Amino acid sequence: MLIALRTDLPSWLWPRAAYIHVPFCAHKCGYCDFASVAGFDHLADRYLSALEREMGMTLGQPAVVDTIFVGGGTPTRLDPDQLERLMAKIAHWFPLTKGGEWTVEANPGTLDVAKVELLVQAGVNRVSLGAQSFRPALLAALERNHAPEEVERAVELVRGRFPRWSLDLIFGIPGSTLADCEADVAAALALGPSHLSCYGLVYEKGTNLWKQWQAGQVVPVDEETERAMYETVIDRLALSGLSMYEISNYARPGHESRHNLVYWANDAYFGVGLGAASYVDGVRSVNTRDLAAYLRRIEAGEPATGPTERLDAEARARETAMLMLRRTVLGIDRNDYELRTGYSLDGLLGPALARFVDQGLLEDDGQRLRFSREGRFLADRVLCELV
Amino acid sequence: MAFDPKYIRDFSIVAHIDHGKSTLADQLLLQSGAITQREFREQLLDDMDLERERGITIKARAVAINYTLDGQVYELNLIDTPGHVDFHYEVSRSLAACEGAILLVDATQGVQAQTVANAFLAVGNDLTIVPVLNKIDMQAARPEEIKEEIMHTLGIDPAEILAVSAKTGQGVPDVFRTIIDRVPPPSGNPSGPLRALIFDSKFDDYQGVITYVRVVDGALKVGQKIRLMAGGTDHEVTGLGQFRPREIACDELGVGQVGYVIANLKQLSDVRIGDTITQVPGAAEIPLEGYHEPVQVVFCGLFPASHNQFDDLRTALQKLALNDSSFSFEPETSDALGFGFRCGFLGMLHMEIVQQRLERESNLALVQTAPNVTYEIVTRKGETLHISNPTRIPDPGDIEEFREPIAKVNFILPADCIGAIMQLCEDRRGVFIKTEYLSPTRAILTYELPLAEMIYDLYDKLKSATRGYGTMDYELIGYRAGDLCRLDIVVAGQKVDALSVVVHRAHADRRGRKLVRKLKGEIDRHQFEVAIQAAIGSRVIARETISALRKNVTAKCYGGDITRKRKLLEKQKEGKKRMKQVGNVEISQDAFLSVLDDTDD
Repeated sequence: MLIALRTDLPSWLWPRAAYIHVPFCAHKCGYCDFASVAGFDHLADRYLSALEREMGMTLGQPAVVDTIFVGGGTPTRLDPDQLERLMAKIAHWFPLTKGGEWTVEANPGTLDVAKVELLVQAGVNRVSLGAQSFRPALLAALERNHAPEEVERAVELVRGRFPRWSLDLIFGIPGSTLADCEADVAAALALGPSHLSCYGLVYEKGTNLWKQWQAGQVVPVDEETERAMYETVIDRLALSGLSMYEISNYARPGHESRHNLVYWANDAYFGVGLGAASYVDGVRSVNTRDLAAYLRRIEAGEPATGPTERLDAEARARETAMLMLRRTVLGIDRNDYELRTGYSLDGLLGPALARFVDQGLLEDDGQRLRFSREGRFLADRVLCELV
Repeated sequence: MAFDPKYIRDFSIVAHIDHGKSTLADQLLLQSGAITQREFREQLLDDMDLERERGITIKARAVAINYTLDGQVYELNLIDTPGHVDFHYEVSRSLAACEGAILLVDATQGVQAQTVANAFLAVGNDLTIVPVLNKIDMQAARPEEIKEEIMHTLGIDPAEILAVSAKTGQGVPDVFRTIIDRVPPPSGNPSGPLRALIFDSKFDDYQGVITYVRVVDGALKVGQKIRLMAGGTDHEVTGLGQFRPREIACDELGVGQVGYVIANLKQLSDVRIGDTITQVPGAAEIPLEGYHEPVQVVFCGLFPASHNQFDDLRTALQKLALNDSSFSFEPETSDALGFGFRCGFLGMLHMEIVQQRLERESNLALVQTAPNVTYEIVTRKGETLHISNPTRIPDPGDIEEFREPIAKVNFILPADCIGAIMQLCEDRRGVFIKTEYLSPTRAILTYELPLAEMIYDLYDKLKSATRGYGTMDYELIGYRAGDLCRLDIVVAGQKVDALSVVVHRAHADRRGRKLVRKLKGEIDRHQFEVAIQAAIGSRVIARETISALRKNVTAKCYGGDITRKRKLLEKQKEGKKRMKQVGNVEISQDAFLSVLDDTDD
């Protein structure tokens, strides 16, 4: 399916961002609900060919972007030749503007000097490392198969080779205490990242962890402790100069993930690969999560898209508010909002927003609306009334 | 020319719900040639979606059937009746337009509570009863046993009881013959001044009010000037007709004929059911015996979930009232819920139907308060007040006597369930009257129960305690003084008037504790602790605390998550639609209804 490049359109209609998905993993972690597969490495070459073909079918001609994000799965699970080939094809179809951001996700234990060098050569300038925890027992609870030391080794490989790198942490892992959380944050900070993503654990339906929870084999951390952990994360990171800029993201000023900010501005993006989502010209679509079906369809020259969705103007404006508020610093700028959605923020959502300001969950400086500190902990109470 | 009354028979079918009344009606239409086999389908007479779903006929309708027996053409007018206990009143007004009634009993289920109630109504209206057993083609049919039961309960000779299958048509010709042989023809005076009984009416967008009448004396003609005797208003007949079963216009309706009249009536309130139509000039002097006004026994507050829909709700209620004169509404203001309406209904089912119809037809989200009854209060000053809204009950110090409505309830149930139902009634302050056996395995149990104790869930409880075999029927027998008091609910320091209930003082502590525990489960957690208290006057008798919500945030939301997360949030929002903001606290619809739920948890 060929689409005409519409670079004349604004960033919320025409993508300046591309997401590329690589589903291969050594094994499936207990909490993971991404489109990932273990034990299918023999399909990697076929998959890469399909990716190339999909990029060609979707774009017809290379599309210049400001940000690229290669996620998974575990992109660095590919062997060096495969990885090099993937990077070259991405660079061909999605030429990066000068100063653009190109992130690749990596799991500790899958990185080595050769892979790091070829990523650097390809133009990757940001790496996101999935640490999740530094406590062996907690990594076991998540069914992660790396050891804490491997994170440090990966960081040593990455540091100095990429201008920016990030760590992922998860708090609220079953069996963890506030002290565990503090220790994890300290261990992460000791490695000196300029960006951290810290997630409260989500029991996603269908995952192993969810099944264990349903069966009563796993007891979630109680809400009071989880809240204390979240507060600890926010405060400890702030003390170290990593300020919260989104519900689950923290960075030194200027080190925010530009690619992820695209999502929270409700801007458009391309998505290529298994289960990848794209948002182009107001239409959201998601590729199939079934690897065999993906390969079959792309190889037959058909798009691999599943359900698509086009929201009407008001629903899109509401969704934009819901996403923008996740940005804890930027929040919603009234002018920006009206420019992007065609709706006046106060005209569309005024009474609800005013109520949350009254309740102390939002702060309004006349220009921007943001979550208050308390509001960050109860964000869904607010967001559910905006959609 | 009107039909010769000698060859007219006017009758109804009365039955317990699901005993096959509508199927028999359709079969009569089929065998008389009024409808084709193709048109023969279940519930032909029910034209409202809601009724079809629930298998209940709510609004009475009439069908004229021509049937030839031994070379003579007869006009048989079948007047349909509702089957549920709530609509007792509508049954009685339909019966008043008949000379006979088919008493239809399911040959697999036997006599049920409404069989008995409706049979007594028919006998009370001096109708000739034609007893018919239905579903005799079914394997589980027990015709001989059921005939015994009918004899025991209603004193009907088993030899008189016909046996049919409304589904296959077996035995239905005998029904025609028996109606013609045994139901007397109408006895009115064809040359006397016109008297026609209005037994129903409905509103039509194009024609205005359509009244359903049975001519008793004289004749109704198109172009005639008529008078509604009780209403005292005069009109001109612009249209007449019968349902066969489709509307067929005619010029005249004579003695005994049943049909519809269109006479430039603008709204349903212009017509009183039970009024007599006469002619002008030459009006009749004495009207026909009218009906009782419908008695509303259950009341509740209906409030729009969002404040700005008050006018929409009013419009919707007015529109609904055009087609249902038996429910009432008046504006009500609640501190907790804002502006809404106090509505009165014939019973719980009626209430549910009205509420569903409001939501379905007007797309309104409603918050409904717990249903309650009308109390009679004698104040210290000697006034007698009738109060159907708990919030209006005076302070305990001002009450001399607190009276509540009492119903006489008949249960028909398997004999081995008597103990369970007696326990249920005793728990609800019932007074045992008697037990009678229909057969060794089935009995009628009679209790007097406070109406307030039975409106909410007695029927459901009966069904579960008797594995579905028990049935019940009730009638109001008056007011009785009780040791009653109002139990108030205080949420986060604020009294929520819409949650107040009337309870017996002896049960107040237990009810209060249970209630706050229930509410604790129904009210969502907030940013702050929410205290829930139950109080009588200023005395707090129970308290629970809902802990504060500490964390509620979706951790991840990237490109692939947006649609799913948005839908999850939309779902949360949907759940909030029926919430009412009381002070700082949001209270759900379920919480408002939970106050009457007396089940143990």
